[in-house]
Amino acid sequence: MSDDKLLVVKDLTTTFATAGGDLTAVAKVSFDLERNETLGIVGESGSGKTVLSRTIMGLQPRVNTTVTGSSIIDGFEVVGASENDKRTIWGTEVAMVFQDPMTSLNPVMRIGKQIDEALRVRLGMNRKDAKARAIELLELVGIPSPAQRYNAYPGQLSGGMRQRVVIAIALACSPKLLMADEPTTGLDVTIQAQILNLLDELKERLKMSVILVTHDLGVVATRTSRIVVMYAGRIVETGTTRDVFYHHRMPYTRALLESSPKVSNKSHTRLVTIPGRPPNLLDLSPGCSFAPRCKYATGQCHSERPELRPSIEPGHAFACWNPLPVNAEATLP
Amino acid sequence: MLRYLTKRLMLLVGIVFVISVGSFYLIHLLPGNPATVILGFGATPEAKAILYKQLGLSKPIYLQYFVWLGNILHGNLGISFISQTTVSSVIRSALPIDGEIIIISQILAFAAAIPTAMRSARKPDGIVDRVLGATSFTLLSIPPYILIVVLVLFISIKLGVSATGPSAYVSFGTDWITNLESLSLPAFTLATGSFVVYYRVLRSDLIATLQEEFITMARSKGLSQRRIMWRHAFRPSSVALLGAASVNIGGLLAAGFIVQYLLQIPGLGYTLILAINSSDFLVVQGIVLTVSVLVVAVNFFFDFIINIVDPRISRE
Amino acid sequence: MSNFSLEDAALMVERPEKSEPLGLFFWICVFWVGLNIFGAIFANVLPLQNPLFGNYNAVNVGPSLHHLFGTDDLGRDILSRVVYGSRVSITVGLGAILIGYGIGAPLGMLAAYRRGRFDAILTTIMYLLLAFPAIIATIAVLSFWTPRSLFKIIVVIGIASVPLVYRVIRTATLSVATKDYVIAAKVQGATDRRILLKELLPNIAPIALSFFLIGVATIIILEGALAFLGLSVNPPTPSWGNMINEARTVLSQNVWLAFFPSLALCLFLIALNFIGDRIRSHFDVTEVKL
Ligand SMILES: Nc1ncnc2c1ncn2[C@@H]1O[C@H](COP(=O)(O)OP(=O)(O)OP(=O)(O)O)[C@@H](O)[C@H]1O
Ligand code: SF4
Ligand SMILES: [Mg+2]
Repeated sequence: MSDDKLLVVKDLTTTFATAGGDLTAVAKVSFDLERNETLGIVGESGSGKTVLSRTIMGLQPRVNTTVTGSSIIDGFEVVGASENDKRTIWGTEVAMVFQDPMTSLNPVMRIGKQIDEALRVRLGMNRKDAKARAIELLELVGIPSPAQRYNAYPGQLSGGMRQRVVIAIALACSPKLLMADEPTTGLDVTIQAQILNLLDELKERLKMSVILVTHDLGVVATRTSRIVVMYAGRIVETGTTRDVFYHHRMPYTRALLESSPKVSNKSHTRLVTIPGRPPNLLDLSPGCSFAPRCKYATGQCHSERPELRPSIEPGHAFACWNPLPVNAEATLP
Repeated sequence: MLRYLTKRLMLLVGIVFVISVGSFYLIHLLPGNPATVILGFGATPEAKAILYKQLGLSKPIYLQYFVWLGNILHGNLGISFISQTTVSSVIRSALPIDGEIIIISQILAFAAAIPTAMRSARKPDGIVDRVLGATSFTLLSIPPYILIVVLVLFISIKLGVSATGPSAYVSFGTDWITNLESLSLPAFTLATGSFVVYYRVLRSDLIATLQEEFITMARSKGLSQRRIMWRHAFRPSSVALLGAASVNIGGLLAAGFIVQYLLQIPGLGYTLILAINSSDFLVVQGIVLTVSVLVVAVNFFFDFIINIVDPRISRE
Repeated sequence: MSNFSLEDAALMVERPEKSEPLGLFFWICVFWVGLNIFGAIFANVLPLQNPLFGNYNAVNVGPSLHHLFGTDDLGRDILSRVVYGSRVSITVGLGAILIGYGIGAPLGMLAAYRRGRFDAILTTIMYLLLAFPAIIATIAVLSFWTPRSLFKIIVVIGIASVPLVYRVIRTATLSVATKDYVIAAKVQGATDRRILLKELLPNIAPIALSFFLIGVATIIILEGALAFLGLSVNPPTPSWGNMINEARTVLSQNVWLAFFPSLALCLFLIALNFIGDRIRSHFDVTEVKL
């Protein structure tokens, strides 16, 4: 049944042992992803998006980290697999575009070599073919005069160019699933749109599935078929992009939408601001994590955690004791 | 890059100037008339004349410096009043021995420090890391002159390994195997001291580098641990290692002096101590000058290498 | 690496202010250092035999109840000589580092606080001096500046350590001087003197203390080296360095003669280094490259 899906995530939980106690950054997350689909993961800063996307592909830190549940990528169970086994799917089945292009490239290695390396180690190409392919990839991601840039160090490129290089590296071994973790956060506005459009175009051309992580709903509005909304490490609402935008039931989703820059003015630079502070993951209440900031909160919200439950549309679910009315047609974006 | 190198080169010239003034002034620390102290009371007028010419002693002090400097620049460091040979020839025959000891010790130190630091950094605070940490900490507190005494006691005296004890030195040209044997304990002693420094510096830098995002990126490409460690972590961290090696060179020479002295190996150190004890001050001055300039030159050279390894530095 | 992401910043803020406990071994080391200093100060009051008096009837005897550490080749009591020997090491170590701190620390703090031309000139000078290998400079000066005395040794090593102390203190002060509360104090019109003493000094104290102790250890090693080269105090005055040096000629007859001063020296160094290292990690100051 599930083997036609590219990715099946079930009850995925990531816990870090920190000096201040156990910190559960991702809690019981379940969702799946079709082939050639683009899924959005949204949430405030610190909601666990990066940890979730890394855990899905098994790339969480190797020390002081515990993962339970299951994450199956094209039939491969990632949770519990050894680093050696995971290496067989990294790059070729699943690859990641990192959040910050300033830190995700090795500063003392020529960018060409950083692309070559994946091709030679993973695909067994020889030096010459790898170089030719690397230049092709640089061209594919829209880097001008790729043959010269091949020899550049990351420090000699702008942020946008570096992010293109990061994308080229991720695409090098033609992965089936591309995880894009806030691929545009560090970039300025005009570049952001270029990078997102590039990802869209490549996805169609290379027949990939994409998970697009962002704290900005404007980014996912036109690019994803479905959205997962996260808060304090949990999914609090999920559904088609349309349902999440226009039929959302969870007050947090509403707040997120309201604080998001309008799609029309194309400015995704502002950070999400919702009144109140994000929760301290080391000290979570037994109830709804959003309760301290929620204007609909009742006594039950503080004492009992709401589980995800279906809304009326198929595939639409939310976690809230006092959901917004069904026909709360938002005037948003 | 070019601008950076020019700047460093100017600094180098400045440092060499300071060193030359310092070395020059050493003679004037001697109590009384330098000529009398250096040559003793029974000196012949000819010897005195040569010394006056060498040091420009009849002139005011700042002119003396230039006379002296002019001689130095012509390779004339004066004449040893004990052996009656030129100081430069004394240095030329002793220096290669120091070079040999230091090069062997550095090869040993790097060969030990790099793999152990990598092993430690892979699991900080793990059992291997703790053992290595405690060991390196203890070694840090054992001065070279104690280590060499212990080594001589056990290896040369108790085990009776040939050609390792005092006065066993044979030149490389005469018999290279015995030569290596006779330098093995000194090289090992210096290597131990360097190993501790390199291990600690590289370990902490590797731990920091391994936290970097580009390491996670390298993992996500499906590269092996080994490759990540060598190609992605070691290269940026090696800058810290080279820096440590560069700073270490002065201490290394000094430790070499003591070890040579104890085993009567006729390198610069042994020569220096003999010269000090026999008040052969021009030899002392010549060795101090040569060694200081060499240290600075080595530092400059390391700087240059660091630049090649890490292109970020010259750009900043 | 100069860049770090928002994530790192968040991690830093969230990381609870927790420091490692000092631990039992730390206190053992403190006790040991204290004991050594006590011994050095009260050596002539303690029930020790005369370190200079040789008993020719008991030459090179091993440890016994009579002579706990045995006697040397002149029949002198090794225990007594080890205790007296600590005087030279400790005096040189402390004296020289005090000179280094007396000159280097105020200059380093002022330079980091004032910045500008003062800082630029001073720092360039110090870096020029730093390039002169300190150990070789010390050997050079001591071999010419005769006759040698304990005082001269302390002064020469002390001055040679000034640029090192300057660099450590300046770097430490710089990292504090740019903090918000210092800037706030400046804006509120606090006097320079007040800021230096009340805001900066307490904050750099841990790193200063840590480097102080490690500096003492380094200088004691150096003094030992000088003793080997015959550039430190002259026998028969015992020092750990010259005791080991004398012992090595009779190594095959009497191992104890080398063993005890070596052990005393190494244990004292381990204790000093450990205390220094712990203080640094306890206050979580990142390793300043020495
Ligand atoms: N290695 C780690 N050890 C301990 N806690 C961690 C670790 N990595 C992440 N966390 C914590 O997990 C939580 C989720 O972090 P995560 O980086 O996934 O958030 P995010 O949604 O990606 O935020 P952003 O939009 O800022 O990237 C944060 O509170 C963070 O402090
Ligand atoms: S469960 Fe309660 S607190 Fe949580 S979002 Fe719903 S109404 Fe608000
Ligand atoms: Mg993130």
